[in-house]
Amino acid sequence: MNRANEGPVPGRKRHGRGWNEAGEKSESHQREEILELLWTMREKGPVSVEEFLQMTEEEEADHILRKMERDEWISLKEGQVAFLEEGERRAEEIIRRHRLAERLLSEVFELEEKYMEPSACQFEHILNPQVLDSVCTFLGHPPTCPHGKPIPRGPCCARFKREMEPLVRPLADLKLGEEGRIVFITPRSRIRLERLSSLGLIPGSVVRLAQKRPAFVLEIGETTLALDEDIGREVYVKKNK
Amino acid sequence: MDKCCEKKSAAPEVIPRVALIGNPNVGKSVIFGWLTGQYVAVSNYPGTAVEVAQGNSKVGGRRRVIVDTPGINNLIPMSEDERVTRDILLDDEDLKVIQVCDAKNLRRGLMITLQLAEMEKPVVLVLNMADEAKERGITIDRHGLAQLLEIPVLSTIATRRKGLDGLGKVLEESCTPQVRPIYSPEIEEGVTAIENLLPEKQKGKRALALMLLAGDESLQDWLHCRLSEQVILKIEEISRRLQSQHQEPLGFFINQKRLNAVDRILEGVFRKEKRSRGMGARALSNLTTHPIGGVPILLAVLYAMYKWVGDFGAGIGVDFLLNVVFGKAINPAVTWVVEYLFPWQFLQEFFVGPYGLVTMGLTYAIAIVLPIVGTFFFAFGLLEDSGYLPRLAVMVNRVFRVMGLSGKAVLPMVLGLGCDTMATLTTRVLETKKERILVTLLLALGVPCSAQIGVMVGMFAGLSMKAIVLWAFVVMGSMIFVGLLASKLIPGEKADFIMEIPPLRIPTLANIFIKTLARLEWFLKEAVPLFLLGTFFLFALDRLGLLKALQNMAAPIVVGFLGLPAKASQALLLGFLRRDYGAAGLFVMAKAGELDSIQIVVSLVTITLFVPCVANFFMIIKERGLGQALAMAGFIFPFALIVGGGLNFLLRFLGVNL
Repeated sequence: MNRANEGPVPGRKRHGRGWNEAGEKSESHQREEILELLWTMREKGPVSVEEFLQMTEEEEADHILRKMERDEWISLKEGQVAFLEEGERRAEEIIRRHRLAERLLSEVFELEEKYMEPSACQFEHILNPQVLDSVCTFLGHPPTCPHGKPIPRGPCCARFKREMEPLVRPLADLKLGEEGRIVFITPRSRIRLERLSSLGLIPGSVVRLAQKRPAFVLEIGETTLALDEDIGREVYVKKNK
Repeated sequence: MDKCCEKKSAAPEVIPRVALIGNPNVGKSVIFGWLTGQYVAVSNYPGTAVEVAQGNSKVGGRRRVIVDTPGINNLIPMSEDERVTRDILLDDEDLKVIQVCDAKNLRRGLMITLQLAEMEKPVVLVLNMADEAKERGITIDRHGLAQLLEIPVLSTIATRRKGLDGLGKVLEESCTPQVRPIYSPEIEEGVTAIENLLPEKQKGKRALALMLLAGDESLQDWLHCRLSEQVILKIEEISRRLQSQHQEPLGFFINQKRLNAVDRILEGVFRKEKRSRGMGARALSNLTTHPIGGVPILLAVLYAMYKWVGDFGAGIGVDFLLNVVFGKAINPAVTWVVEYLFPWQFLQEFFVGPYGLVTMGLTYAIAIVLPIVGTFFFAFGLLEDSGYLPRLAVMVNRVFRVMGLSGKAVLPMVLGLGCDTMATLTTRVLETKKERILVTLLLALGVPCSAQIGVMVGMFAGLSMKAIVLWAFVVMGSMIFVGLLASKLIPGEKADFIMEIPPLRIPTLANIFIKTLARLEWFLKEAVPLFLLGTFFLFALDRLGLLKALQNMAAPIVVGFLGLPAKASQALLLGFLRRDYGAAGLFVMAKAGELDSIQIVVSLVTITLFVPCVANFFMIIKERGLGQALAMAGFIFPFALIVGGGLNFLLRFLGVNL
């Protein structure tokens, strides 16, 4: 996660050295945090060791940096931090986990920012690769996190380009003229849900998106409906082939 | 067929009642007109049938009372007019139902059929717009559907009176549709429990129980009339318990199950071939709501209306009636008769003086206002029947959102350009109270009615484009400002914009003529007496010498603040009786060259924003209650003066030449 513009995250244990079993885990944990920060800093430009040490919250940061250099994850030449192959791979993975977790929490569970971040930080350390790919597929292989930063592509996304479509996407992501079958609706109010269902918009109905602006225009069977954009975003569909 | 119906021998003095029920815009009112020989506004948006129309019918050789109801999509009401329909069904135990359904949208029609079945109403199903369905490659197995539901099913094209002949005959055969969707076991259990709590003799208990489960707030009054507090609490308890067992709101769950049941019915009787609709029609339809392409169409429509109402109605029509019919024929003739009959000057002036009932009141009403309103209603009828209005709602949705309104509010607003009083009545189609209040306020504040516009167009004729744009800018700005402010102050949610868009159709001129005439009749009944009253009021004031006194009283404001001649206070005073009447007074002054261009703009802005006319004010009281009506008037009156005065000072201060 990007600490460059966020305060310390509450509710997280700090692990120091000298922890036995947890120590092992905590070091990998710390490494992940460091890799993550390095990645986000690198998105803005080259990273100097000095800058990094000012930014990081990990207590043993310089010590761990040197360890990572020994393991050939990173190089620390001329005061600049650069990823080596192994470090790059691991950092990419952790970033992908974090940003997909952010997407999942904000879109599907609609968590507010202040709750989303800490949860995403926990998620990133526990998602295993299979689950991660399922989450990514479920969300439709989103290219960016809610803050607009790119999500590194995973193996599932490459496959998707060739053979797979995302399972579920907001109606708003359909292209004009495409059809989709409604999977679920996440409305803000009961009345809204009931009104939509009175007009035939229920899970299982097939809708065609005719227009997005100045308002959403949908076709369900022979009915044409116009609705506000924010309502259109609450309808999730599976694209019809 | 007959075995499922209980033939009740109705007492001879009770005329059986039949209600027309159906989704919005399926042609209920056209069928109503055919059945009763009367005409109610038929239109392409839900709402003109808000005032429930009733008429006698002799179709099929029996006397019946036919009730036309507002369109519904569901019997759990979402808006005031949907509630009216539900209550009609609930209150009248022996009511028969003609359910009108758009053949191409059978799915949504059957959703209502299921609910009528649960209410145990005898139903005849009319599949209207058979031609449109056929065009789109839809075939419906009418007989299969009739067998399945065990009710008569007709296929019609109401606008061309096709297939309606059988209606009288099959009404005798109407009976309760034999179709019952089964909900989940838990819901069935809850329904049974509630049914047992309802009054013994109540018909359609199942429907009521389901409405109550879905948390229908609008049933509260009905319940309190019939059941004790304890029982109501029990019912609420059952509904709460069930809700806690379901993830989704119960109403939604029930709708879903109903639609599933409908889809099962459709499988056997409804077929649609893949066929492209007329590409031209579709392209045009898409263009009308296109974010960019829709704008020129919108402007073209507005311009055509302005030309038609402004130039033809307010120009040629008014000139002809005012100068030829009244000026050369009626007024001289009446003057001659009156002078012959009454030798007293007092009475002569009462009829034909400067404030005479005929020479002023009737002349204004018939010669100035009628042609304008008539041409407007005709244009509005075209817009309605062609299906353009809902598309307009899509186009203006964004602008309206700024004012805390949804695009739906454009319908009363546009109608307000015809007559604000009528438009205030149609605010009922809006879903939230907040929206109804806002639209009522904005109508009263800044939407000039066509009579007023017509008179203004006459005044604009002598002004530069700059002045007209300035007037429009100030009025619109005031409305957006007030809307923005009021939407912040009035509690409540912004209404969702969910609106059905009917297909574009070529209107039938005959229908539009009939509709225009019906509206004109309404307008004349409402307006002419007020005109005469206003004239009499002025005449009395003039005779008593009070007119001068009032002018003197208002002079500091009118002359000092608005910078208008003292005489203009008359026009403003009359503006309360009828806005157009006030505008007409200004028009006469402008024609006589008593106003310079700044004065014209200031007076027009003031009279546009000025208090609503008496009729509109009464309508606001009727719809919103006296308190709100007074609050609105109390705000609008000073606001209009402040804006007018401010504009006057600004223009004079900057030395603007208009």
